[in-house]
Amino acid sequence: MKRLLLLGFLASAGCQGLQNLDVSSMTGGRINSNVDLTKVAKGVNQVRKGFSEISESEEYYIGRAVSAQVLTRYKPLNDPGLNAYAQKVAQAVALASDRPSTFKGYHVQVLASDEINAFAAPGGFIFVTKGMLELVRSEDELAGVLAHEVAHIAKKHGLKTIQTSRLTSAFTILGSEAAKNYTPQQVSQLTSAFEGAVDDVVNKLVVNGYSRDKEYEADKFGAQYAKAANYDPGALKAFLERMEKAEGSGGGGMFKTHPSPAKREAELGSLSPSSGYKRSSERGRRFSAAVQL
Amino acid sequence: MKRTILLGAALALSAAAAYASTITVLVQETALRKRAQSYSPSSGVARLGQTFESLGVEAGFHKTSSGYIHSSAVTTRKANLSGGDGVGGSATADEVTLAGKGFNAQVEKSYGAKNGSAVNFAAVNSMERRVVSEAELFEFLRAGGLMGEGGSK
Repeated sequence: MKRLLLLGFLASAGCQGLQNLDVSSMTGGRINSNVDLTKVAKGVNQVRKGFSEISESEEYYIGRAVSAQVLTRYKPLNDPGLNAYAQKVAQAVALASDRPSTFKGYHVQVLASDEINAFAAPGGFIFVTKGMLELVRSEDELAGVLAHEVAHIAKKHGLKTIQTSRLTSAFTILGSEAAKNYTPQQVSQLTSAFEGAVDDVVNKLVVNGYSRDKEYEADKFGAQYAKAANYDPGALKAFLERMEKAEGSGGGGMFKTHPSPAKREAELGSLSPSSGYKRSSERGRRFSAAVQL
Repeated sequence: MKRTILLGAALALSAAAAYASTITVLVQETALRKRAQSYSPSSGVARLGQTFESLGVEAGFHKTSSGYIHSSAVTTRKANLSGGDGVGGSATADEVTLAGKGFNAQVEKSYGAKNGSAVNFAAVNSMERRVVSEAELFEFLRAGGLMGEGGSK
């Protein structure tokens, strides 16, 4: 009977994600303590499946590997002042986002490339090219560009590009036995799954680009984050207008992987600043001091 | 009849468990803030695996006795790492993070060795070393007129 009660409880909890409940703390004195509740709970668990079940730490390691590939394709720009400035602006908008903390925080690197481009790798890694910065005219515009990248991370767009089969494979390897330390064979199998996942993200990020829907979503949330950080969200539209003109002079980079700037502007609609928005000569001063390209 | 009562009791118990108020930190570290605002000064730091009792949610922050913590940095689900058997296939994503399993440093090392010159982890490490402290960031916001009313005071 007690087992029946327990199973009834386990079944009823399923809709809330039973696998996440530690039933051992809920037994009280009513259930036979000899019943191994942990094992019963694990018995009805499901192996993790899709991207939404990639853990915070796994997202971080995928992001690191994606970044490690980006940083072989593009040389990092060694300009400590500019990198620190871009880092501060990114942190300002990330703090105002719906995901202010990632597993190990947000990090920005300026790339020594004339291509007009910016990328966001899962877990909080943001890249912006020198060519992109040359097109930006103010800190508010830069905040708009970086907020767009923060939105890709906050909404986990990179992780959503990973083929489910790779994750199923990795999660199954993990499920083959309870592992405190992986055997060399398990590490090798996990590495293959990891490699596939990283390549999926890199291909989407650098080669093919996200779907239009994801880009518009990143614009929409990016504008919200910029506004919440008391930057002018309309600055992103001003930047897109300038990008549109630059597109006419040709180019790959962002033009190859993003919808046209005109369409992005149209999708954004009208944007008004927050009540806390203030014009600031200091923002203009520090932007000019840092962005001297 | 008795079975129906017991099942009803079990359902009630499960509903209570689903809304358990313990939260567990899922990021390396995140700020505990004095108010439920991103620009509020911190009252401390919450670290990976630390648990707090949530006294409710305000504007996306859990209120705890130590300060406000952003809901995106924690899980309200209870992670089960007991039993001494490590984390297997039935582990949740939260448990994988807390146990440092899944795609981890060991897998990255193997991936790095396999891919050699196609990856530049040294550059990633140097990118990660670039950190702006909260004091520095808040000063940047204040100087740039970005700290709204009720900001860092």
